[in-house]
Amino acid sequence: MASIVAYMDVREGAITLPSRFVVAEARRVADAAGATVYALLPLGPVPQAQIEELAAAVSAAGADRVLCSSDELLAGPALDITHGALLAQVAERLHPRLILFPAGGVGVELGPPLAIRIGAAYVPRAAIDIREEERTPDPPSQRVLLQRWRAAGDVQRVVDVEDIEHAVVATLAAGAPRTTYGESFSEIEMLPCPEPKYGRPRELASVQDPNADVALCSFMILSALPASPALQAKLPPGTVVTVIGSSLDAAAEAACPHQLMTLSDGSRPGPSAVQSPWLAPGAERLRLDSAAPDPEGEMAGLAEALERLAASSKKVPA
Amino acid sequence: MIVLVCLESPNPSRASCAALSLARGLGPAAQIIAVSAGGPTHGRWLDLARQSGAHRILHIGDAILGHPDFLTLGMLLAEAARYSGASLVLTGQSSDGEGQGLVPAALAHNLHAPIMSRIEAVEVSQETANAVVATTYADGRHVRFEVAMPVVLSVPPILWVLPGTDAATDASQQAVESLTLSQLGLDQSRVVPRPDLLGTRVPATVGKARPVSFDEAAAILLRPTLA
Repeated sequence: MASIVAYMDVREGAITLPSRFVVAEARRVADAAGATVYALLPLGPVPQAQIEELAAAVSAAGADRVLCSSDELLAGPALDITHGALLAQVAERLHPRLILFPAGGVGVELGPPLAIRIGAAYVPRAAIDIREEERTPDPPSQRVLLQRWRAAGDVQRVVDVEDIEHAVVATLAAGAPRTTYGESFSEIEMLPCPEPKYGRPRELASVQDPNADVALCSFMILSALPASPALQAKLPPGTVVTVIGSSLDAAAEAACPHQLMTLSDGSRPGPSAVQSPWLAPGAERLRLDSAAPDPEGEMAGLAEALERLAASSKKVPA
Repeated sequence: MIVLVCLESPNPSRASCAALSLARGLGPAAQIIAVSAGGPTHGRWLDLARQSGAHRILHIGDAILGHPDFLTLGMLLAEAARYSGASLVLTGQSSDGEGQGLVPAALAHNLHAPIMSRIEAVEVSQETANAVVATTYADGRHVRFEVAMPVVLSVPPILWVLPGTDAATDASQQAVESLTLSQLGLDQSRVVPRPDLLGTRVPATVGKARPVSFDEAAAILLRPTLA
């Protein structure tokens, strides 16, 4: 495997947590199968110091090299119309075996058009599995498998990166990177930003979604009530409480958490397929039951347990 | 303005229903053409197309098609857009079956048109001819863009509702126009299934949620992370 490209989603000047997880996963694959990890950093016009700061974070997460394109065209939301040509340019130059997008919606927008353009397989809401294959007397080889559920939820699909003749484009679930893999130093290569093929769309208005964090969460707590202030204050980064509704909103539809926990006192139904997001294979489903009839009971109990555990381990969540 | 809405046959996905709803919301300025490719000529897709007051209903069927894959569907739907003179194509973002979301991208690629995903609303531009104003959800924001047509807009499976009957249009008996590959100017040799791009099917079942105590849940939540 020659190279892996990890797309970096930058919001409000920072690399998103799912993006850091994507780099960490690329690093894990590269270490097992032998590859160079390129992080692609599309940015609007920003000072060089900020580019270096972002590149350092990406590098610490596990990238070997950072490719950066800084242009007014890339300042807005990541759309295929504006960002697609840059991705195609990188794919044409590096011929990567794997192109990984983070959870949060950017993969839905950029992944399928890129896959069609370069004739690649596309694996949405994917989990990466690395399996050792015995080849006695030769050393064992590492198989890199990308797994996903069919939307119907009936079977899984598995793509073996080595078996397929083409590149594989995938959007990963939002896991939480648990360690640093690299040094906060990496070579930055600046790329020109290609002109869009179909002209520039005109942005007329933009409204921030107050629930935007939901799309990026790695741990989603489904509850009948909004998070109590006591619980909200103790939740670690990447964790959100989402109210169970009759359907998903835009942010929840884009989410692909690695862990999903339902707060339930047993008197309410759990989330249905419509109410809960699709999960990647291997995602953890938890149910926190409480005998308390008061639906706020679970939140108070969980908040207390978090406080107790944080105090005992001397690790106060950020 | 001719608006092509793509529906899976026989049962359209939730996302396709949402696309049909957005098309209806464009009002009398839009001539809606519903199209399906492969599958039967009848079914729920036809009922919904008729209920939505579609001006025309197209079905692409050919013995060679069987269950067309995403590449073939994209090619067929792009040809249907050309055939019908559509300047705006609305599709569901992903099906309820395979659910990769590749058909809209393949459609746009074959139509040589730009694509925008995660569309929440669309209206005719009041300022620019031959353009629409589309609201998309991107980067945690609801963003309104003016985009020139032709354009492909794909709609997520949220806020989907079954289209109501258009009282002004008695389309309940709207006939289905059947199209073959040759009528669309396509040679059979262009239908090349690519099952290898889908991956191998592996039997699996969605596991049930594991009950945890408050302390277990807290311990899982507080696992150390890079952040």
